[in-house]
Amino acid sequence: MRGRYGRFGGRYVSEVLIHVLEELEEAFERIYPTPEFQQEFHHLLRTYAGRPTPLYYARRLSERTGLKIYLKREDLVTGGSHKLNNSLGQALLAKRMGKRRIITETAAGQHGLSAAMAGNVVGLEVEIFMGVKDMERQASNVKRMRLLGAKVTPVTTGTGVLKDAVSDTLREWAKTSRTTHYLMGSAVGPAPFPEIVATFQSVIGEELRRQILEFEGRLPDAIVACGSGGSNAIGAFRPFLSDSDVRLYFIEGGGESLDADNSAAAFVLGRPGVLHGALMQIMQDEDGQIKPSKTRAAGLNYPGRGPEISYLCETGRVKPGYAFDREVFEAVKTTAECEGLIPALETAHAIAYVLNHPEEFDRGELVVINFSGRGDKDLDAIMRYFYED
Amino acid sequence: MRIERKLRQLRERREGALMPHVYYGDPTPEFSFELVRTLAASGADLLEVGVPFSDPIADGPVFTAACERALSRGIKPRMCIAAIERLRSEGIDLPVVVTAYYNIVYNWGVVRFCADLQAAGADGIIVPDLPVEESEELLEAAKDRDLDLIFQVAPTTSESRIDKVLRKASGFVYVINVEGVTGPRGDIVPSTLQLISRVRERTSLPLLAGFGVSSADHARLLVANGADGVVVGSAIAEIYSKNLRNPHSTLERIRSFVSELKAACVQGMRERKRI
Repeated sequence: MRGRYGRFGGRYVSEVLIHVLEELEEAFERIYPTPEFQQEFHHLLRTYAGRPTPLYYARRLSERTGLKIYLKREDLVTGGSHKLNNSLGQALLAKRMGKRRIITETAAGQHGLSAAMAGNVVGLEVEIFMGVKDMERQASNVKRMRLLGAKVTPVTTGTGVLKDAVSDTLREWAKTSRTTHYLMGSAVGPAPFPEIVATFQSVIGEELRRQILEFEGRLPDAIVACGSGGSNAIGAFRPFLSDSDVRLYFIEGGGESLDADNSAAAFVLGRPGVLHGALMQIMQDEDGQIKPSKTRAAGLNYPGRGPEISYLCETGRVKPGYAFDREVFEAVKTTAECEGLIPALETAHAIAYVLNHPEEFDRGELVVINFSGRGDKDLDAIMRYFYED
Repeated sequence: MRIERKLRQLRERREGALMPHVYYGDPTPEFSFELVRTLAASGADLLEVGVPFSDPIADGPVFTAACERALSRGIKPRMCIAAIERLRSEGIDLPVVVTAYYNIVYNWGVVRFCADLQAAGADGIIVPDLPVEESEELLEAAKDRDLDLIFQVAPTTSESRIDKVLRKASGFVYVINVEGVTGPRGDIVPSTLQLISRVRERTSLPLLAGFGVSSADHARLLVANGADGVVVGSAIAEIYSKNLRNPHSTLERIRSFVSELKAACVQGMRERKRI
């Protein structure tokens, strides 16, 4: 069935939104494959976003771990993360659908920033909903979004974090869907969003495949990516799903410790349920009330896992793992010292997993880490962790 | 079944129906019982009992806050269903529709949820985030338990989709008045009245119009233009929300508001052009 990944996915929304979701699905299927769209999209990816991003051989991290580690440098995409791949694609689509405005939500601010950039490039008004707590934690990205002319609207419902911002954006969309596109930033939400986001992000995996074949003459033994909704992970994994020799690892936010009030590890602590329009793996209490997740990485602080990632983990094709906050900060430092690169806290989850789970990898194995974003936005948190605590 | 029977009786008596919607447990269970008794005594024909949910995406600020307050007091879905049983034991025999977001139902277990609702004396179910395409399992379980699964149509719903919804509908059709979420609003817009006649042309099932109904005048206008009745929720919650320390003191105001709404529903039916 369309919009389903095994039992996951679907379209669980108010009747008010069905019309626009059908319109979006029809437009995506009609417009995306056209040469005109492909040309414009790839032209922007090349000349504005800075693609293809390099695949970098991380020699000193490799020596340290006894592996052969490559980093897929999505931190070099304009704006500092993989988010722009999807934002450019959806903004172009929205423009062709005749929408005047895009709305979205953001936690770490990376998606909001990319939406503001894409909106400006394409010529659409932009409004970003952001939890009040996240606005404090990611103040520099709030400034960037505002400088770009986006309206940043604080969300105070619930606990003022990403899940509440998604709820408020869905409410706003119900009011304005005729003129407005919801630029969903992660591979979550009602169909067709998970498919659209995965399609636009697949450029990561497609490049990675070409590059690793060029450098190594073979496919990697493993690909490791962080995530909550899972857009960078599914983008990196998609072109490898049928290569059963390539192990795929999805690393979520362990938070402080593995209990429901201090973690974002939904594959450990959650179970299937319906949130924000889709059936997926969710952190929830015994009655089905959604639990707020907790991790120092705002971009992983979401209680749901996208439907496709939920499905791939259920079938065993993808192995879920997690990294604790303290491991993540150490991984930032290790990466900075070994490679001169400061990863985003989200990205550092994937690195921390590789550093701390030698049992998962044989010596000399070829491992690609999706280096999804840079850590400038987290600099204050990182400095506080190492020098003030 | 009871819902449709009741609405058809009202139609024969040429009365518009009033269905107030309350979120159980906001701000306390005791108040909810008082509120329901007040509503039943002042003109409610049916009752919509909401199960508070952490992420009510079809609800506006008034009901979102109601959910948050109820959940912060530890209200659980089971308590809402037990409350219906208690209302029945107190002799309140209005048809009751339970509104729950799908994760509550999914988590409860679709079949068990319907069995427990029936045992408690409920008559119907509304799931605001379950469009007709996703409803098969629940629809079957509801039918087995003589419960009406109430479907919604919105101003954005196409003609062909209205037909699709009508093929599954029973009890009544819930007409969502506006593009948006629940919550009080200024005027009834022309597209709302057009939607009512678009649905009216296609079915003899009763139609209840909800979302944004905030005044007696709204209710009159909706009924006069073809709705069998109205759903009023946030406008009632807004009254007691202004005095959460002593919500009981607002019951008198709610009583007179609800009486006005019911009178307007009756008036609206009289104004309706004879068909």
